[in-house]
Amino acid sequence: MRSIEFHILLALAPEERHGYAILQEIAALTGGEMQLEPGTLYRALHRMLKDGWVAESARRPAADLDDERRRYYRLTPAGRRVAAAEAARLQRLVAVARAYRLLSRA
Amino acid sequence: MRLYPPRFRRDVGLALVDALEDRMRARRAAGASSFGVRMPAIVDTIRNAAAEWPESAGSRQSPDERAKGRTVVDKLLQDVRYALRLWRRRPGFALVAILTLALGIGANTAMFTIVHAVLLRPLPYDRAERLASVWGRTAAYPRGLISYREYRELRTQSGTFDAIGLYFGQSVNLTGVDEPQRLVGSFVTGSFFDTLGLTAERGRLFTEEDSAPGTVKPVVVITHQTWQRRFNGDDDAIGRTMTLNGTPVTIIGVMAPPFDPRVVPDAGYFISADLFLPVALFPAPGGLDAAGPVMLAIARLAPGISIGRATADLDVIRRRLLADDPQPQADRTLVAESAQETVSGASRPALLLLFAAVGVVLLIACVNVSQLLLARAVDREREIALRAALGASRGTVARQLTVEAALLAFASAAAGLLVGRGALAGLAFLRPPSNVPIPADLPLNAAVLVFSGGVAVVVATLCALVPALKTARPDLARVLQAGFRRGSAGGRRARDVFMVVEMALSVALVAVSALLIESLLAVQRAPLGFDPSNVFTLQFRLPPTKYPTPDDIARFFRAAIERVRAVPGVESAALVRAVPLSGNGGTIGYAIEGRPAVDPASLPQARFHLVTPDYFRTMRIQLLRGRDFTDRDDLQAPLVAVINETFARREFPGEDPIGRRLTTPQTPTPITIVGIVADAKHYAPTEPAAAQLYAAHYQVPLIFSSLVARTRGPAIGVANDVRKAIWSVDRDQPVWSVSALEDIVARTQGQWRFLALLLGVFAGVALLLAGVGIYGVTAYSVAQRTHEIGIRLALGASGERVLREVVGRGARLTLAGAAIGGAAAVALARLASAMLVGVRPTDPAALAAAVLTLTAVSLAACYIPARRASRVDPVVALADE
Repeated sequence: MRSIEFHILLALAPEERHGYAILQEIAALTGGEMQLEPGTLYRALHRMLKDGWVAESARRPAADLDDERRRYYRLTPAGRRVAAAEAARLQRLVAVARAYRLLSRA
Repeated sequence: MRLYPPRFRRDVGLALVDALEDRMRARRAAGASSFGVRMPAIVDTIRNAAAEWPESAGSRQSPDERAKGRTVVDKLLQDVRYALRLWRRRPGFALVAILTLALGIGANTAMFTIVHAVLLRPLPYDRAERLASVWGRTAAYPRGLISYREYRELRTQSGTFDAIGLYFGQSVNLTGVDEPQRLVGSFVTGSFFDTLGLTAERGRLFTEEDSAPGTVKPVVVITHQTWQRRFNGDDDAIGRTMTLNGTPVTIIGVMAPPFDPRVVPDAGYFISADLFLPVALFPAPGGLDAAGPVMLAIARLAPGISIGRATADLDVIRRRLLADDPQPQADRTLVAESAQETVSGASRPALLLLFAAVGVVLLIACVNVSQLLLARAVDREREIALRAALGASRGTVARQLTVEAALLAFASAAAGLLVGRGALAGLAFLRPPSNVPIPADLPLNAAVLVFSGGVAVVVATLCALVPALKTARPDLARVLQAGFRRGSAGGRRARDVFMVVEMALSVALVAVSALLIESLLAVQRAPLGFDPSNVFTLQFRLPPTKYPTPDDIARFFRAAIERVRAVPGVESAALVRAVPLSGNGGTIGYAIEGRPAVDPASLPQARFHLVTPDYFRTMRIQLLRGRDFTDRDDLQAPLVAVINETFARREFPGEDPIGRRLTTPQTPTPITIVGIVADAKHYAPTEPAAAQLYAAHYQVPLIFSSLVARTRGPAIGVANDVRKAIWSVDRDQPVWSVSALEDIVARTQGQWRFLALLLGVFAGVALLLAGVGIYGVTAYSVAQRTHEIGIRLALGASGERVLREVVGRGARLTLAGAAIGGAAAVALARLASAMLVGVRPTDPAALAAAVLTLTAVSLAACYIPARRASRVDPVVALADE
């Protein structure tokens, strides 16, 4: 799994969001370190849609706030499992890094 | 968005656009410029769209490859970023390289724009490649005029021409308006319009019948500009009457402008006039049929007919004409010439020379930048070797270097385009000479952009090839050794070659510009035979309807001169049919009384001038013997003439010409020679001396004449008063070509001044670049040898010896460069030979000057780093370890 895909999964974990909101969420998650451009995001999203990790949501916001082009995305159960697996893998790696004293214990 | 594959567009396209807009809105809100808002979006799109294509094209990519997540565009962008970072780290290097190349590319862009507009682009007439001029050629005049009789014959007999028309531009007087005006008229046959494919925009053009002698109608066709200027584009201009040359003519049509005259050399040449009149209205004494060759001809070749075929055909027709010609001219032939050649052929040598010169400047610029890149590449050898050792493939390294060179070329080409536009604007201020018909407006067009782009690619290749080849294959072990001293023998050899090439090119350019400067000086120094300072001139043409007899004309002449003499500030005034160097003039055949008669077709020729009394005093042409004309030399008195020195020497060696008599075909009675004056130039300041025959203007009054007046102050200061003085004689008489004789003289030097100035600038730039380049090469090689020099100094070598050695090496290279440059100069000078006056292409003085200048520059450029080398402190140099 690519790092960008994991970030998108994380951004969608609490709630469904539209594209630009995903970008903002990722920026917030990484403390502003990861500033994605829309094209990059949507290429990843496109792949993830095809792989069945995310799906377009049927939810629409209130009509007067809405932009008809706006699409909301949510995690599929498959996406949730993939994200969990990746998180577990990272956790094991972090544990190893700690053991080798690469990380100070916070 | 269309850059993305269709499937991707369908799936997430709209949402992506939405997100892009959100991002742009956010950036704008944060205060980014419109460029700062759009650019990231564009970069983002290009890069991701390019990446999406291969992925959508059937997911053939292995997941492994995908996992790398880097696309070709990504890699290139990374290279670009890396190159930009390097530039930022060494801004001086990037700036010097880009400026140097921009100078070269800019000069070439400007020159190419001109060459393309004047020489390469076909004339903008309909199927212009089939247009040809027809000339009557004699030994003396390769481009002589055509007679109406010849035209009629060509029109009916020629199988090689689809159409042929006559035209001849001449000023016409417009009267019946507030102030009498001179318009440029063109007297044309109806067929002229068909030949060039011209049409009417309002009304109609006139027909062959309307224009032919016998059936001529008093009509005129005006140009679009005249219609706009004089009639404000009113539709009711058609049918109105204009009084031209004293004759009322009816406006029957407005010619549709076939192109924008400002972007065409000479405004289209054949149609650069204010209005078109029927050829039969041409003011020729005795009518058009009897006037002999007085017209220019333009023909449309039949499809598939070459100029050569047409000329052969013309020869057949001429023979037939010759058979029943009462006064045949033995050596006269008819020839065809492509219309493009007629318009711009004369400017070709000058333009090609300038083009070659800017090419040389660009080459020198390339050599300089190449040398810069090479020096830096050697510096970077370690970095590159390190990267190779860490696993960068040779391709990666080569790609990086290529991207850098391409970026350099791209930036220089962009800057060069700006420089080129600036140079063209500057050129307009120089007022290029009239024989280089540079259009008034030179828009940037696709051909120029393609040319500049092509130049940039060549430049990038030239500049980057050597360094890239050298550094893409570093010897890893050697380079990474501790204490490795850079500066391989190969690098040194390349630098030597650079230096020699640079020298040679500069020598050639400086030598040629020296030749042109010598030519300009020769032209300026050439004795004119008259004093052009403080002489005021103007021209006029009397309408024959108003001044039908010689008496009428002579009366006008006398009254006008009298009034002009009375103008305050005028010392003396006279009339002359053709002011020297104004381009007007004529010749006459003559026979000397008491000598064996000769065939009228092969009479000796002399330049023929008509002047009133006081002309020689006004022009300060020295009267050597005899007397000037007087007011008593009038229509009643016997004809008299004044000859020049060359005439006297040619016809009367050891005899006294005063009192001898001449006959000419154009005068009814013999002419008595009453005086001899010094030679004066007439067509060009550099022409060889020619026999000149001055006749009394009062005895041969013709409707076209010019005024010359010597003034006490600046000549042009009397312009208004002189004009008023002439209008006080005839309030309907327009005058034109109002100018100071000095300006007319200066104009004849225009071509040399233009070329000498431009080539001087190019040579200066070349010298500067060469000087900087040689300095750079020497300084660099000295810097590389600091260690070695330090050891030698420590071992007891004197600083002087080091100095001698470094300068000596430079001097040897300089000599080689100068020798090759001398040969190149001779080749380049051959291109210039058509423009050289009073100096041969192999002029040793110019060559020597060029070699000496370059040697001085080169030695100075070597000396400075050499002195630095001789003062190397061994301790510091060796501590460098």
